[in-house]
Amino acid sequence: MKPLQKQSRRDFLRIAAAALFGGAAWWIARRRSPRMVWQIDPEKCTQCGRCATHCVLPVSAVKCFHSYSMCGYCDLCGGYLRPDAHGRNTGAENQLCPTAAIRRKFIEDPYYQYTIDEKLCIGCGKCVKGCGLFGNGSLYLQVKHDLCVNCSECAIARACPSDAFKLVPASDPYLLKSNQEERIS
Amino acid sequence: MSKVKTVLSWFFVILLVMTSAWVFLNRNRRAEPGKNYIYSTEEFQQVDPALIHYVEVEPLVPSFGNPSSLAIAPVGQIYVGGPNCVEVFPDGEKIQVPATPTCLAVDDDGILFAGFQDYILVFSKERKSMLCLSPSKKAYLTSIAVDEKWIYAADAGNRRVWRYNKEGGNPIEIGAKDEVKGVRGFYVPSPFFDLDIAVDGSVWVVNPGYHALENYSSEGRLISSWEKAGFNIDGFSGCCNPAHFALMPDGSFVTAEKGLPRVKIHNPDGSLRCVVAGPDQFDADVTGLDVAADLQGKIYVLDPGRGKIRIFEKKKK
Ligand code: SF4
Ligand code: SF4
Ligand code: SF4
Repeated sequence: MKPLQKQSRRDFLRIAAAALFGGAAWWIARRRSPRMVWQIDPEKCTQCGRCATHCVLPVSAVKCFHSYSMCGYCDLCGGYLRPDAHGRNTGAENQLCPTAAIRRKFIEDPYYQYTIDEKLCIGCGKCVKGCGLFGNGSLYLQVKHDLCVNCSECAIARACPSDAFKLVPASDPYLLKSNQEERIS
Repeated sequence: MSKVKTVLSWFFVILLVMTSAWVFLNRNRRAEPGKNYIYSTEEFQQVDPALIHYVEVEPLVPSFGNPSSLAIAPVGQIYVGGPNCVEVFPDGEKIQVPATPTCLAVDDDGILFAGFQDYILVFSKERKSMLCLSPSKKAYLTSIAVDEKWIYAADAGNRRVWRYNKEGGNPIEIGAKDEVKGVRGFYVPSPFFDLDIAVDGSVWVVNPGYHALENYSSEGRLISSWEKAGFNIDGFSGCCNPAHFALMPDGSFVTAEKGLPRVKIHNPDGSLRCVVAGPDQFDADVTGLDVAADLQGKIYVLDPGRGKIRIFEKKKK
């Protein structure tokens, strides 16, 4: 009976040591590998509208970003005005954004500054499309990381027709269009 | 035997249940974005067929991909610029250049003027480089035109037109804001800024942010202008259009737009004469359509997306 007991104690110690080492290795590896978060590659996004409708949050974590250094400060802004706008002014009937999230401010003739009200933006990308087609492409979509809950499988990424979603390190979570980026919201 | 049958039936039942569960769990339960969330220029894509007065004929295909610039010599040859090369049609001549030209012009003597980002190289008839002009370090040259006396260069970087004599001297700036003289200044949000010389020696320049064409004397005096903004067929869409234009022998304008790619002809007073090619004749995402017209009224369109010079001829009545 004795040798058998000895044997099972040794086995127990062996298993415990393996579990301990395995756990430690897993913990170190987890700490070493960077935490990843979801982000949109602006070069791949085709502004399909699903960023507004497919996020698990009631209002999407995707928002419009503006690269001011790329903007033409155009009077006839393709991102602000509807294609069939009757005037170049702030009239609701002329605005492209479905939630009136873009503010237009006169700077000096003929320049206007456009800023995004993040609370109103639903990430539909309509303005992004208009700006890309007719302007300099200074508007683009990004996942806002103070809002995103970082689902292990992003619901928008699953529905994205352009494969524009990718995982990026949480330490560098944005794919900005310009390194002179200044976001005013 | 019956045991095998039972096992197989259970296997298929389980497979069916698992597949249905997988389909159910993965099915898209979210509504597709409605019309309100999608940007569309569809209503402006359609052009009344009665307005289209041109038909497309066989294109010119340069030996290199990515053509970047286009010019027609007064004697009719077509010059196409691309990566480190300018190709001449129909001669087949290939001129080596140090980079990709952003713009080209050829004068009566066959002298070639090639604009690169911030300098112009002038090549003799023997294709020897004989002059280099560099207006400014900040220059972004987008168009060149020459006549027997002057070289004009449109510089989107400085929002100016530079005028030199044929030896590269006597430079003046055209288009600086001067309210007293009625010059509002060029407003160039993106690098699309074109010019051409009229038969009377004056120069027409696009003021793209205003959707305008402005006419200046060779001394830089504003003579006249016209403008028309809007997505409708008689206007210029977006924030920097027309992206390119060329003057026809009768003084009318062939214009090319970006965003809503279309090529049209406007009368000398700016009113719409006809359409050469509508948006459905181009790839939706094409930018940088350049245009030129020859003395017979044929329209040449540089289509960078398709890597061709597309040619349009007036429809026969
Ligand atoms: S789902 Fe993809 S393509 Fe559609 S708007 Fe979002 S990132 Fe762009
Ligand atoms: S158009 Fe859409 S993406 Fe752009 S600001 Fe408005 S809600 Fe945001
Ligand atoms: S990870 Fe989740 S919360 Fe974040 S954008 Fe995707 S669906 Fe929305």
